[in-house]
Amino acid sequence: MNDRTNPHYLERGNDPIRLSEMVQRRKARARLADDFQEGKLTMLFNRDHKTGPVKRAGRIFLAGFLSVLLAGSTVAQNPRNVPDVTAMSMEDLMNLQVTSVSKRTQKVADAAAAIFVLTQEDIRRSGATSIPEALRLVPGLEVARIDQNKWAIGSRGFNGRFDNKLLVLIDGRSVYTPLFSGVYWNVQDVMLEDVDRIEVIRGPGATLWGANAVDGVINVITKKAKATQSAVVTAGAGTEERAAGGVRYGSKLGDNTYYRAYTKYFDWRPSVYPSGVTAHDGWDALRGGFRADWTPAGANSLTVQGDVYRSRFDETLTVASLSAPYSNTFPNDGKYSGGNILGRWNHTSEGSSMSLQMYYDNTTITDHSLFGDHQNILDIDFQDGFHAGNSQQFVWGLGYRSIHDKNDASFTVSLQPNQVTLNQFSTFLQDEISLVDNRLQITLGSKFERNEFTGFEIEPNARLLWNLTPNQSIWTAVSRAVRTPALTEEGLRLNSQVIPPGTPANPTPLPAVVAVFGSHQFNSEDLLAYELGYRVQATKNLSLDIATFYNNYSNLRTAEPGAPYPEGSPAPTDFVIPFVAGNKMSGGTYGVELFADWKVVPKWRLVGSYSYLQMDIHKNIDSQDPTPDNPNGSSPRHQWYLRSSVDLPKHFEQDTTLRFVDHLPSLGLPSYYSLDAHLGWRPVNSLEFSIGGQNLLNNWHLEFMPDFVNTSPTVVKRSIFGSITVKF
Amino acid sequence: MLRRLGILIVALSVSLSGTPEAFAQAPDSRDSSEYLIKAGFIYNFAKFVEWPSAAFAQPDSPIVIGILGTDPFGPLIDQIVENKKIGARSFVVKRLKWGTDFKELRDCKILFVGASEKAHVDELVQIVKTLPILTVGETPGFAERGGVIRFVLEDNRVRFEVNVEAAHQADLTISSRLLTLARIIQQAAAETRKPG
Repeated sequence: MNDRTNPHYLERGNDPIRLSEMVQRRKARARLADDFQEGKLTMLFNRDHKTGPVKRAGRIFLAGFLSVLLAGSTVAQNPRNVPDVTAMSMEDLMNLQVTSVSKRTQKVADAAAAIFVLTQEDIRRSGATSIPEALRLVPGLEVARIDQNKWAIGSRGFNGRFDNKLLVLIDGRSVYTPLFSGVYWNVQDVMLEDVDRIEVIRGPGATLWGANAVDGVINVITKKAKATQSAVVTAGAGTEERAAGGVRYGSKLGDNTYYRAYTKYFDWRPSVYPSGVTAHDGWDALRGGFRADWTPAGANSLTVQGDVYRSRFDETLTVASLSAPYSNTFPNDGKYSGGNILGRWNHTSEGSSMSLQMYYDNTTITDHSLFGDHQNILDIDFQDGFHAGNSQQFVWGLGYRSIHDKNDASFTVSLQPNQVTLNQFSTFLQDEISLVDNRLQITLGSKFERNEFTGFEIEPNARLLWNLTPNQSIWTAVSRAVRTPALTEEGLRLNSQVIPPGTPANPTPLPAVVAVFGSHQFNSEDLLAYELGYRVQATKNLSLDIATFYNNYSNLRTAEPGAPYPEGSPAPTDFVIPFVAGNKMSGGTYGVELFADWKVVPKWRLVGSYSYLQMDIHKNIDSQDPTPDNPNGSSPRHQWYLRSSVDLPKHFEQDTTLRFVDHLPSLGLPSYYSLDAHLGWRPVNSLEFSIGGQNLLNNWHLEFMPDFVNTSPTVVKRSIFGSITVKF
Repeated sequence: MLRRLGILIVALSVSLSGTPEAFAQAPDSRDSSEYLIKAGFIYNFAKFVEWPSAAFAQPDSPIVIGILGTDPFGPLIDQIVENKKIGARSFVVKRLKWGTDFKELRDCKILFVGASEKAHVDELVQIVKTLPILTVGETPGFAERGGVIRFVLEDNRVRFEVNVEAAHQADLTISSRLLTLARIIQQAAAETRKPG
């Protein structure tokens, strides 16, 4: 029972963590009752027209009778109260619908955390063609595009291109870069048709996922190879994404081994600057990969998967220089390429489950005229879960991560040393205790890890879930999370601006370079988070999820001014005005996130979300950082969306989403509305036509501004994208 | 009036008590309603199949349901047939392993062949084909290869195939009621050409 309350259940890879399997079995009966009930209702709706009214009435009575039985069995958990299928005729049995497998493996309602799951269906019907765009449907998440190939994505505040408090994993592989403690969103992609679901936890997940899972965790989980046993060809074109295509093929090797392989390509045309002039921010990417699952009968299973990719992107860059005009803006380009391979072994036996996962990831990113970075990461993770008695479940694990980073500097950005190897070790232990007939669940656990910058870190949490009634629950959690220093915060030098000589700001005869420096004294940022949430399944068709939080941060990053000094030899060429990374900011944030899901009628679903965020972050009294309290106001205070999904006759489906994002005062950006619409038509199962429009209300809007690296922001235009997908 | 109120109360209790997990979807078939439905079918098969009288020692000998190999039902099937009777016969459920429980195979009246026994289907058919055993499987080709009934999932619903020839060989009489709902399967050609 308890393991499903555990965010850990939410996957590390894409095999649902098997720890849960045994418990699930224990719980299966209760769930069966509900599944059965659902099936029964389906049956009532789907009755053949041939059935006469009298017979139908009898069936409804029978169904009602069964429901009562089922209801009893759910509540009482009495093993004898299995629904009496023997009372049903074969015709009725034939009309019962088998619950379809694995759309939301996790029963979100049982988690003591703010969890949201974006299903394959949600992604497909949204018309999104990339992971960042799909994430716009996650309640409370802040998703903003800076230019065609750059995003700022954050959770519960602190949004920015280099947002460093959100951990992102794809099939159990962390894609959070140790370079700047953030995510290269343009590098992260998968064949969207193969995504099973994207699970998002807002709030800390550090006890299980470790440092940097501070304000959220995003898990992109692809389907098992067995679920993709067909060939898929997709091709599309649009006004912004001018060409996109993908091919996937899945098949079988012997009885127990399934595999698939894919390749995909896309090409985006440049957008425009707010001035209306065509920008220089187009990009394209080509990638391919595979996944193989070996699942012999018995306790063991093995997954091997990997990807390779390359991409080219354009941008307009502004950098400072030591000679007049001291600042240059020019069209720049860059490229990235890389690959990864991951293996995961699972072993399940009665009462326990073990897994060992290992991956290697190589990423090379070259931003011409700016920076080059080559990363090799090896990550090994072991975990083991077992039951202790009837009411407790332990999970513990060990992790090792080795990061090798090598970088190429420019005048603007340099990193010391230019080559480094870091080793990180971690272990965690968590106990889940079920009390009061499994209605109260307590989770206690902590991560302990060691990194080379700040040494030993401890990240405990305590969570409590109380099932008030079978259809409503309340949860609360207190957790500590840390955001450990990135390579840049240790050894960066970023020349952000040059003040020309002989000006009021710099009366000297030499140019003055305003430079941001990392520091070995830079420490981890700390969070103590308090969360409280409530979920209710008000009726069969209406559910509501409310999450609130108060986050208390300390040791947040500041840029502390140092004493100016001359540099250059033998004669000085310039003055340096240093700003050094410090930990002198703290404060609180609080907010609420609401989500409602209403199946108005079987063919019409309405979902809505509203989130509110208040940030109250201030520099400490001893901080001399002259910049304004910048995190406040780079995340929207209010956000909401309303989405309608209709199944139309003749296999058409239509989705409309209206989104509102509040203004961002510290970036000087106004609020905006965006209307997105999608129409799909599946004349037969193997063929789908899809057309989607984004930002239909306006010609364009600007969503975000760059930070640190001064690239020119471009607008999000009204756009249309159409595609054809064939399966065979 | 009272009855209507009763229905209303029932409806309310249904909507309040059953729903919280309604959206939970099972990670694998074991946890879904699939095997609950299949167990319901197996009970119905017992009702609509007639065994030769010699198959049972006594008029009230129980109907033995054997589950061979990996058991997808769990305790569910035991609970479903517990205290149920068809005529004078009650039910007994046994779990059997390939290779070790051959003797017990013969006692079964209904033999569910788990997916784990896929490789043994041909051998099994040879062993039991002339015995009055209703073999029920779900692996592809089960009925073509000589099994009597095979479950098929179609459009998320449980359907079944019947190999009438195999039933005949086992001396089982299948009611027309069951046959009208079934898809009739012909024995695969290679199987019908029996040596000798």
